[in-house]
Amino acid sequence: MDKALKSWIMKIVRLLCTLLAIALLLFAVRALWIRYQVEPVTRDGKVLADIVPIAPDVAGLVTEVHVHDNQTVRQGQVLLVIDPSRYTLALQQAQATLGSERAALAEAIREDQRNRMMSNVVASEVIEQGQTKVAQLRMAVQQATAARDLAQLNLDRTQVRAPVSGEVANVTLQPGTYLTVGKPALALVDMPSLRVEGYFEETKLQRIHPGDRASVHLMGVPGDIRGHVESIASAIEDRERSGDASKPADVNPAFTWVRLAQRIPVRIAIDDVPKGIRLVPGQTATVVVHSPGQPRGLLPW
Amino acid sequence: MLEELHVFGVYLPAALVWAVLAGVLAHLLRRLWQRLPWSSALGHAGIWELAWFVLLWWGLTAAADSFFHYG
Repeated sequence: MDKALKSWIMKIVRLLCTLLAIALLLFAVRALWIRYQVEPVTRDGKVLADIVPIAPDVAGLVTEVHVHDNQTVRQGQVLLVIDPSRYTLALQQAQATLGSERAALAEAIREDQRNRMMSNVVASEVIEQGQTKVAQLRMAVQQATAARDLAQLNLDRTQVRAPVSGEVANVTLQPGTYLTVGKPALALVDMPSLRVEGYFEETKLQRIHPGDRASVHLMGVPGDIRGHVESIASAIEDRERSGDASKPADVNPAFTWVRLAQRIPVRIAIDDVPKGIRLVPGQTATVVVHSPGQPRGLLPW
Repeated sequence: MLEELHVFGVYLPAALVWAVLAGVLAHLLRRLWQRLPWSSALGHAGIWELAWFVLLWWGLTAAADSFFHYG
């Protein structure tokens, strides 16, 4: 009887211990799931800034480059100069044309006034022709004025200025290079727009809200950059669908059984950067969003 | 939160490193467990081994999150 009782007690103990092991196992699995699958953390983040491609508005040979690579520039500072000779000549030509048109207009006005004063000896038709000539020459003067202003504008645009304050990058431009209109010559990094963007899995978005505190860690750089969630991307491209809005939807018929969560960019505004840390657009970052007081159910999914 | 570890120039996901470490520790623990005279009374060894592994994985993760800092 004692032996049977002892065996029974042992079975109960074994069962309870096994149940305890299963409970501990489930607890740890749940904790790991929350830590790695639910918490809004991503290693897929980047330091970003708006880049302004600097391109000339007029074509020509570069005669002067006033900046060197990675130089800090102010808004309005001259970055490079396109050879102004052709545009100076164009301005002189436009000024001469304007002067000529003005002289012709003055002469026409005087002639018209004389004709009007001698209306008893000058035919009405001649007077009318004179008035028409004055009107035409007034328009010609306006046209010449516009041409002069355009020539002046082109001349002004030979000096390419920084549209925003920031740092120039990728400057390999040298005097003698021929630039065409609209061809980017160098890049200007708009430093005030510096930010971090974390590409979060779409499954984690429910725990991210604008205003939430965030920590950013740059790859291989000690220190914790503090920031907050500024905004969440309003849309990403639908890869399963092609065609433009004016055509019927062209949806990919292949649907994979195993698929990955898409990633949504979340914009992190930088509040505080520890001393000694330099943010370079393009750097890799890990982003942790501290979601305040998220209620957790028994099961995290 | 520690998300990646720098190992000989390669950045590995911390989860993988802690899992490998937990696996090694769980294996060592298994040997100690088997030497205990009353280990058979504590239920199925396989379930305990799995539980130790997952608990160690979570414990290492939590400890790293609390005590380690980037850099």
